[in-house]
Amino acid sequence: MTPRERIKAVLHHRKPDVLPWLESFYEETVLNWFKQGLPPEKIIVIEWEMGRGGTNLYNWPAVKGFDAYSYFGCHGFYGCVVPVDIGPLPRFKQMVLEEDERYLTVRTETGAIAKRIKGEERTWYSMPMFTEFPVKDRKTWEEYKKRLNPEDPRRYPKDWNRDDYIDAFENYQRGPTMLRFNGFYGFGAELMGIAPFNIALYKDPELIHDMASHWEYYIKETIRDAVETLKERIDMIFWWEDMAEKHGPLMSPRLYREYCLPHYKNLTGFLRRNNIDRIMVDSDGNIKPILDLFLEAGITGLWPLEVNCGMDAIEIRKKYGDKFFLIGNLDKRELAKGGEAMRREVDSKVPVLKDEGGYVPGADHLIPLEFTLERFIEYSTYMKKLLPY
Amino acid sequence: MSDAAISGILQEISRSISDLQGIPQVKKLVDKALKQKIAVEEIVEKGLKRGLDEVGSRYEKGEYFLSELLYAGEIMTSLFDVLKPHMKQDVIDRKGTILLGTVKGDMHNIGKNIFGMMAQFSGFRVCDLGVDVDSKTFVEEAKRTGADILGMSTLLTSTLPEVKVVLDRLKEAGVRGSIKVIIGGNAVTKQFGEEVGVDAAALDAVEGLEICKRWMAEK
Repeated sequence: MTPRERIKAVLHHRKPDVLPWLESFYEETVLNWFKQGLPPEKIIVIEWEMGRGGTNLYNWPAVKGFDAYSYFGCHGFYGCVVPVDIGPLPRFKQMVLEEDERYLTVRTETGAIAKRIKGEERTWYSMPMFTEFPVKDRKTWEEYKKRLNPEDPRRYPKDWNRDDYIDAFENYQRGPTMLRFNGFYGFGAELMGIAPFNIALYKDPELIHDMASHWEYYIKETIRDAVETLKERIDMIFWWEDMAEKHGPLMSPRLYREYCLPHYKNLTGFLRRNNIDRIMVDSDGNIKPILDLFLEAGITGLWPLEVNCGMDAIEIRKKYGDKFFLIGNLDKRELAKGGEAMRREVDSKVPVLKDEGGYVPGADHLIPLEFTLERFIEYSTYMKKLLPY
Repeated sequence: MSDAAISGILQEISRSISDLQGIPQVKKLVDKALKQKIAVEEIVEKGLKRGLDEVGSRYEKGEYFLSELLYAGEIMTSLFDVLKPHMKQDVIDRKGTILLGTVKGDMHNIGKNIFGMMAQFSGFRVCDLGVDVDSKTFVEEAKRTGADILGMSTLLTSTLPEVKVVLDRLKEAGVRGSIKVIIGGNAVTKQFGEEVGVDAAALDAVEGLEICKRWMAEK
């Protein structure tokens, strides 16, 4: 089987010949590893760039020219991705507003003002502190909405040629093909800030309903051409939400039902009508209280299942059977310790979930900075032994 | 006005907050209480604080989530605006002083801010040092403010070691014995708290606040 066939099999709860393994890396971690012994000739350019496909509010550093995934032999979420730009168009002009010895305050391309610690190593990893968000009320939302126009021709690449892309998505075999976009909670919280957005759920329901309705329309119409062209050649939807903390969802299930569920259903319905039914939500934190609603919404996959927040893939498998495919859930803190702690963590989950199917092993979030190269090599060597059926 | 009537209005205020009945409704009830000449202290203690305590309790039980905590905070803020002109002096029963900050290298502030807001409304004086706070600043401010409690937040696993750095600095400065240290944030676990030697590790803002209240009651 090819790597793509393997991962597709698992997402559909079928057994592959070898279990695929999936990780995501902080760029800073990879840069650290160069200092710790990764071949220096692999080092390449580091650029600040808009999140892939314009899906993030931040400008992340991107390590160009080194593919950690093929180097370590794992899958990632960045293989063959539908090149649709869902960011605001036109972008805001990115500029440095203030700078001192330790901090840099910038206006991002999505109109937020972010203060971050200077220096290449921790700026992405520690996340910036946002001091201002582009949407504050109805007036600023109406302004922002103009930048979320699905008809803007810049949303698709200049070389968007349906036949070529069908070929590319048909023939790609190194991993899953994907389409990525932001969810109804995630986009609102990014545009308004988590606290103002959560308060607006109570204080200004009409605004939130309008934002969610427009987001549904905007995403559906923006991706329509790609979805109707590529259909089942898109193996998986990567739906970013980040809507939970350790205690539970950031938005209560009641509010989720009111503000998000109908739009989720409409969007997953549209995807299903185009034969795309592997629909994964990316949310950190404890999402257990909202899993029933995810099912109702048409979600079929979950990542990263953070152990520190009480997520347990075995428990979810017991409760929900094969209704969700699961990715991650190996406690990154234990993995990073190496040795017995790492083996204990891997052994406690991988063999049993491998047997049951529908599970792709991996750390329960991006590989953190404190994960040394030596320990990652130890972990990857151990993991690879467990993968063949 | 009878004691029963007073108690009834205060209960209504408390319930309107815990049920998140909306800012206009809660304000209306507080106005009614003020017109009935109920002392501001009583409105705060038996109306507002009880309501907020109930919100915290529902959060702990998994009935409420962050959205509800934040909205309750918004209600409380708007009520304090209403009550301020009626306060002859600081009516909040100061429970103690909490020094608060996110450790060096970490710019996250939401959890810290929620904890700070709830602590403030529960009667603590809160000195918030912000994010990316170095150990030197924590120690200097602990000395300057004479804080009873130091609350440190860290969301990142990579910044967890900063907690130990601050604890060591507090010891070096000879103030560790006079200040309780509590930590919180996504990266924090009870086990880590024990290993590093803080007085408590809270898994969320509500739990953290309960621990702080207990400490001050025991003092």
